[in-house]
Amino acid sequence: MKQTLMGNEAIAYGLLHANTQMISGYPGTPSSEILTTFEKISKNLPVYAKWATNEKVGFEVAYAGAIAGLNTAVTMKQVGLNVASDALMSASFIGNKGGFVLIVADDPGFHSSQTEQDSREFARFARIPVLDPATPAEAYEFAIKASELSQKFGIPVMLRSVMRVSHSREIVEVKDFNFEEKKGSFKRDIPRWAAVPRAGRLGQAYEREKKLKEIAKYSYENFIKPEIEKLKGTKNLIISSGAAFGYVKETLDELGLDIDVLKIDMPYPLPLDELKSLIKHYEKVLIIEETYPVIEEELRSENVYGKMSGDVHTIDEMTKERVLKALKNVGFYKGENIYKPAFENNFEVISRKPNLCSGCPHRDIFFAIKKVFRPKKSIYPSDIGCYTLGINQQAIDTVLCMGASVSMAHGFSIADNKKTVIATIGDSTFFHSGVAPLINAVYQKAKFILVILDNSTVAMTGRQATPERAAPGEVDLKKVVEGCGAEVMEYCYEPDIKKTIEFFKEVKKRYEEVEVPLVVISRQFCVLDKERAKENLKGVFATVDEEKCVACDVCTTQFVCPPMAYNEKGKIEIDPLLCVGCGVCISGICPTDAFIRRDK
Amino acid sequence: MKYQILIAGFGGQGVVFLVKVLSICAAKKGYKFLGTENHGMSQRGGSVSSHIKIGNFYNPLIDYGQADLLIGLDRDEAILNLPYLKKGGDLVVNASDFPKLEANEYIVDANQLAEDGLFDAKGLNVFMLGTVLKNVKNFPFSVEEIKEAIKEINPKFAKSNFEILEKALNYERN
Repeated sequence: MKQTLMGNEAIAYGLLHANTQMISGYPGTPSSEILTTFEKISKNLPVYAKWATNEKVGFEVAYAGAIAGLNTAVTMKQVGLNVASDALMSASFIGNKGGFVLIVADDPGFHSSQTEQDSREFARFARIPVLDPATPAEAYEFAIKASELSQKFGIPVMLRSVMRVSHSREIVEVKDFNFEEKKGSFKRDIPRWAAVPRAGRLGQAYEREKKLKEIAKYSYENFIKPEIEKLKGTKNLIISSGAAFGYVKETLDELGLDIDVLKIDMPYPLPLDELKSLIKHYEKVLIIEETYPVIEEELRSENVYGKMSGDVHTIDEMTKERVLKALKNVGFYKGENIYKPAFENNFEVISRKPNLCSGCPHRDIFFAIKKVFRPKKSIYPSDIGCYTLGINQQAIDTVLCMGASVSMAHGFSIADNKKTVIATIGDSTFFHSGVAPLINAVYQKAKFILVILDNSTVAMTGRQATPERAAPGEVDLKKVVEGCGAEVMEYCYEPDIKKTIEFFKEVKKRYEEVEVPLVVISRQFCVLDKERAKENLKGVFATVDEEKCVACDVCTTQFVCPPMAYNEKGKIEIDPLLCVGCGVCISGICPTDAFIRRDK
Repeated sequence: MKYQILIAGFGGQGVVFLVKVLSICAAKKGYKFLGTENHGMSQRGGSVSSHIKIGNFYNPLIDYGQADLLIGLDRDEAILNLPYLKKGGDLVVNASDFPKLEANEYIVDANQLAEDGLFDAKGLNVFMLGTVLKNVKNFPFSVEEIKEAIKEINPKFAKSNFEILEKALNYERN
């Protein structure tokens, strides 16, 4: 049946077709919809589809399923794979019985990530095969293929997507299928599953080398040879893979160039002998891939051009203009740039930065922290999540990776002990990788404040449930923190900035008295959370008394709420379409009390 | 047929909803298409631009000077995305004023109309789509096709969305 699907939805359908019975993962843009969709379409089937506390945990849960013979999968974004990489490196030696698909969604162009990364590189590092789909329809097919290959060769197979595949829409021909329930059955095999260094692992390492050769051969016979047979034997050749292929194909069509293009579906392992002998027949070979030169490094030779020769851009997303420039650089095209803007854009506008939503409680917490713990006397480590946008309020000094706010707070407290360290982290991120560094900090008697911004949802990636939310009364954030040995203070958020500031004054007092990390659990809500936002947003809408506004910038630089902006008269104005009626600005943000209630 | 549409706005304005509507329309008509949308960071009030390419395309991104139609849910976001529009293309923008360009411009101050109570501000995206339907000659979909797609996405809100669509179709500038 033909369906209009987003790439991630297509992957979910592919997995279900491949009889995937267990799927785990941690949400992260652009990967999150895979598990959500799988959950939805497998509703009445005997499957396990659940979010894990982090990517490593998710990987290990699903991998165990594949060891016990089921077809399983794990989903994450590229930086999530860094977290799960420890497990991946070993799993690649040990292999699996059922199909095990590792799905990683990359983010070329840094649309919603702290790094760009090319997960194909990680596949090569871990020595596992990787499939690189170019479109949603292909993502569907490759998800099925990945599971089949993983079963056939008994090795984890990576399905690497990119944002422009995961978040694209296309018509996908979804085949009919029968889901067959299988019972998992773990067969004891200690030398395989628990191979101790070195004898056991050594054997597996050699075996893996052999497997990779077989897989490269398989890839040649099944994926590459049929494509080579279609080549016309032009003077030059372009080799491409994944989403990059789409840009190449369109650019060549639009420039009217007739150059052979070879699309590589499995960028690792490559059948090197066959490809190198193919390359010899061409004068020049241009390799266009996103993001790192993975294929290029493997095929490097005198007539091969690409990122390493300086002819293809090395950072940021692909565009057809960039493909055109590469074609020019290597002499495949000599004409004009057809991708130049038709309109000179010399109009002055400000690009909208991502910002915390109107009415988001994080904004008040950051405002209050800075009021009580003055920036000159404090350090603000933070973490990965919506609250990273506290950067707009200059209430964040460092952002490294998930969980790092806690360990970095510890480090700063040693390195610069004259300042007070106040770290911020979300509840989901804390469960993801904040617990271990907190334990570390407690037993080493570190002194800092950690504020857990608990809105009980993974807000940034689409509001997935956090452990506490998914199992109310079972996983208890406060007990976890107490169990770690930290001091705890709890705050139930109110949309009243004076109360929030008063609370942080108490935090400051308490901090003077304790000798271990002081953890503040701020119980909040997410304004996008349909279940909770309604009761928390009071419907107190604001407007500005222009007589009182003295353009002091406090609201635009310290509070930074989206509806607030200066008008032509140099006074603050509130955009009524963006205001959600939290009423916080009326409660004492403005030094001259210029925010007043609007009746409507 | 080849037709490329760029929708520009910011997080919360319903850009993604419009991509869904147009994708479904294309699929129902049997057109090949590729569409793309931004998620994550951009949802928090940041710029969101989504592309939809109808016809024989292989990647979802529109390049500079290629878009047949630019739908701007916000004035500044429309200006930021002007480089994508082709000369003589169609431009439908929610703004009180807009620079005069070599393009077919349809400017409507939808923010003001929402504030005046003509429609609920949440339906701004649908109002702008209605403005497209009313003004853009080569637009590949009919009112009925758009309505069908809206209904398919969420039948519960279809009626109120249809009302906003009708308001856009009947809206006459004075």
